[in-house]
Amino acid sequence: MHNKYLGTASVCVFLTLILAPLWLAFDRLVWVAGFDIFSWINSLDENYISQGVLEFTVLQALLSSLVTLAIGIPVAWQLGRYEWPFQSLIRSILTMPFVMPSIVAAMGFMHIVGNEGLNIRTNANTWFATLIIAHAWFNISLVIRFCEPVLSTLDPKMEEQMRLLPAGKSKLGRLRNLWLPLMIPSIAAAACMTFVFSFTSFALVRWITLGENTLESMMAGVGSSAGISGYMVSKNEVILGSSLIQFTILLFSLWLMSWLQMKRQTLLPTTSETVAKSKNVLGWSVILPAICFAILPLLTIMIASFRINEVDASGSNQYWSLAGWEYAFSTTNSLPSAWDALQNSVGYALITLLIALPLGYILAQTIRDLEKERPKLARVVDLLTMLPFAVSSVMIGLGVMLGMIRIDAEFFYSIWFTPILAHVMITTPFVVRIILPALRSLEPKYEECARTLGLTNIQRFFIIEIPLLRGSILVAAIFIMAMSMGEFGASWVITRNSDWTTLPIIIDSIRSIPYNNPLTTPAANAVSTVLMLIALVLFVSTEKFRPTRDGGMF
Amino acid sequence: MFSCVGLSKSFDKTLFDDFNLELEPGEIVAITGPSGCGKTTLLRCISGLENLDKGEILFSGHNITNLPAEERKIGLIFQKPVLYPHLNVGKNLKLASKNADISVALDEVNLSGFEKRSVHTLSGGEGQRVALARALLAEPSVLLLDEPFSSLDEELSKKLVIDVRNLLKKRNCPAILVTHNNIIAKDFADIIISLN
Repeated sequence: MHNKYLGTASVCVFLTLILAPLWLAFDRLVWVAGFDIFSWINSLDENYISQGVLEFTVLQALLSSLVTLAIGIPVAWQLGRYEWPFQSLIRSILTMPFVMPSIVAAMGFMHIVGNEGLNIRTNANTWFATLIIAHAWFNISLVIRFCEPVLSTLDPKMEEQMRLLPAGKSKLGRLRNLWLPLMIPSIAAAACMTFVFSFTSFALVRWITLGENTLESMMAGVGSSAGISGYMVSKNEVILGSSLIQFTILLFSLWLMSWLQMKRQTLLPTTSETVAKSKNVLGWSVILPAICFAILPLLTIMIASFRINEVDASGSNQYWSLAGWEYAFSTTNSLPSAWDALQNSVGYALITLLIALPLGYILAQTIRDLEKERPKLARVVDLLTMLPFAVSSVMIGLGVMLGMIRIDAEFFYSIWFTPILAHVMITTPFVVRIILPALRSLEPKYEECARTLGLTNIQRFFIIEIPLLRGSILVAAIFIMAMSMGEFGASWVITRNSDWTTLPIIIDSIRSIPYNNPLTTPAANAVSTVLMLIALVLFVSTEKFRPTRDGGMF
Repeated sequence: MFSCVGLSKSFDKTLFDDFNLELEPGEIVAITGPSGCGKTTLLRCISGLENLDKGEILFSGHNITNLPAEERKIGLIFQKPVLYPHLNVGKNLKLASKNADISVALDEVNLSGFEKRSVHTLSGGEGQRVALARALLAEPSVLLLDEPFSSLDEELSKKLVIDVRNLLKKRNCPAILVTHNNIIAKDFADIIISLN
C-alpha cells in the first residue's frame, strides 16, 4: 500500500525494535565496564575465556568457506551444465540443508562422529574437521544457488563463439576466458556469505567442538553474568570487545557481499530460451555423493531417535525402541515436554509472522517508493533494514536480554512474548530481501492501468499487488515460520532462564542431561526429527511457491 | 466538452509547451510526431499518471487537473495491452465495472465467449480488444490510446483501427490517439495534430 505516513511509521517501528534493545544493552554493559574501546579489545587477549577465540573463529570460518567451495562448485557445475533426471528434486535435496535448523545439523553430525557412530569425536583433529564439514554441509546450497544459474542460463552463443576463437579452443581456455570471469563474482559472493554464517555459527560450535569457542559461542556463554554492577566486570568488557569486532567484520562482509551481488547481476548475459543440455553419466560420481552427503545427517537423526544404547557394568546393550520419543514428549522433573516446546515454537512463529510480514512488506514498499522519488534516501533505508544481518543472533539475544534487565528484568522474564522481539528482529530483514526484488520486478504499468480504471489505493493493493506478489509473500511467510521455529542463538540466550522453551532449546536441554540416562540422545534426536520434518515441509512449500528467477537472495 | 488548456511539461528538455486541445463528444484526435517528442508523456499527464508543469484539464467545465488518476475517469490504453495475469478475461473486465454485463462488452469487441479465457492464451490483437473493452466499461470521459496498434501486424492493425474507431463513434466517446504512423492516424482520427 503506497502511503508515506505508513512507510515512515514502519521505518520508525523497525528502527526502534532493532536499535532500542541494542542501545539499552550497550548502555548497560558500558555502565558496568566503563567506556574504553581499547580496554574492551585488549580484554580479549587478557581474559582466559577469550584468549585465542578470535583467531579460532576466523580460521574455522575461512577453512569452512574453502571446503564449501571445493565441494559446492563441482556440484553446481554438474547441475548447471548438464541435464539430469528429476533435476528440480536433486536441486531441492542439495539446497535443503540451508533451511535446516542448526541444532538439527549439530545433532546429526554429533551422531555420525559420536560414540554411537564413527566414534572419532574424542580426537581434537577430528572434531575440528567435523565442524568444517558440518559448515560445508550447511552452506553448500549457497554455492549452488549462486553459481548454478550462471551456468544454466548463459546464452549458448557465448560458448559457441568462444569455441571459434583461438583463446577458447581448449576446455581450459574456455574455463579461463569465459566461465571463470563470469563465475568469480558468484563464487566470491557464496564464499563471503559462507564466511559470515560460519563466523557466527553457534549450535554447531557448541555441540561439535570440545570446549573450543567462537566469538559467538563465547558471548552466549558469558552473557548470563553480564550487565550486573560490580560483578565480573571483565566479562562485560569481553562482550563489548567481541561484539565490536564481530560487528565490524560482519558489516564489512555484508558490504562486500552487496558489492559482489551487484557485480554478479551485471555480469549475467542470460538467455530466456530453454537451453538444450547434454547428459553426463560421469557426473553422477559428483552428484550421488553430494546427495548422500546432504541426506546422511538427517537420516541419521531419524534412525538414531529409535536407537537406545544402554551401558552398564556388563557392557553396552543396543536395541530399537520408541522410548526416546515417549521420553521427549513427556514432562520430567527437570524439563517440560516437547509438546510444550512445540506449542511455544508454533505460537512464537505465528506471532512473528503476524508482525514481521506486514512490517517487512511495508518497509520494502517504502524503499521501492523512495527509489522512484528519493533514491539516496531509499539506499539509506535499504541499508538500515540490513543492519540486523550485521548483528549475529546471539548478539540480538544479548541485546534483548540486557535491554530487558535495563528496563525491568522481572517483568520481561515473566511474559511469554519476550523471545518474539528477537525473532522479529531476525526475520524482518529477510522479508525485506525477499519482497523488495519482487516489488522491483513488478511491471509499473499494472499499477498505472489500475489507476486509470478508477481503482482506489486499497483496491489496487488487494486486487492487483497482493495477488501478483503472492508467490514472494508466501515464500517470505514460510521463511519467517522456518527461521522462527529453528532459531537457536537468540532464543538460547533469552529463554534459558525462563519457562518459555522452544523446540531447538529443548533439544539442547535434553542433550545436555548427563549421559547416564540412555534416553537423552534418542529423545534429543526425536525432537530434532520433529523440527527437521517441520523445516522440510516448509522448505518444500517454499520451493513450490518461489517465483522463477525473482532475483532475490533467499 | 473535454479541454486541455496551456499544458506544459519539461524534463531535461521541453516536451510540450502551451498545448491546447478541445474535444467534442465522439470526436477523435490523433497526435503524431517522432519518437521522444513527448506524445506518451502528454497522454500520461492528461490521464494523471504524471504531473503537469503548467496548464489545466477541464471536463464539462470542471477543472480536473489536480485530481488523482483514479478519480479522473480518463481511460488509457497502453502500447502493449496491460492485462492482469492472475485474473481471467472476465475478471479483468470486472475491474472496470463490477455490475456490467461482461458478455455484451465482449460482443462489442468481437470476443464473444472469452469470459473464462486466461489472458496468457490471447493473441496481441485479442489482448488489445480486451483492454479496449475494459477501458470502455469504465465509461471514460475521454479515451487515450498510446500507440495501441503499433505492436500488431499490418493487416490486423488495419482491421482493429476501423473496429475501434466505429466503436468509439457508436459510443460517442471522445479519444486521443498518439502514433508515429501517419497512415493509422489518417484512418483513425477526425483531426490530426503534429507534435514537434
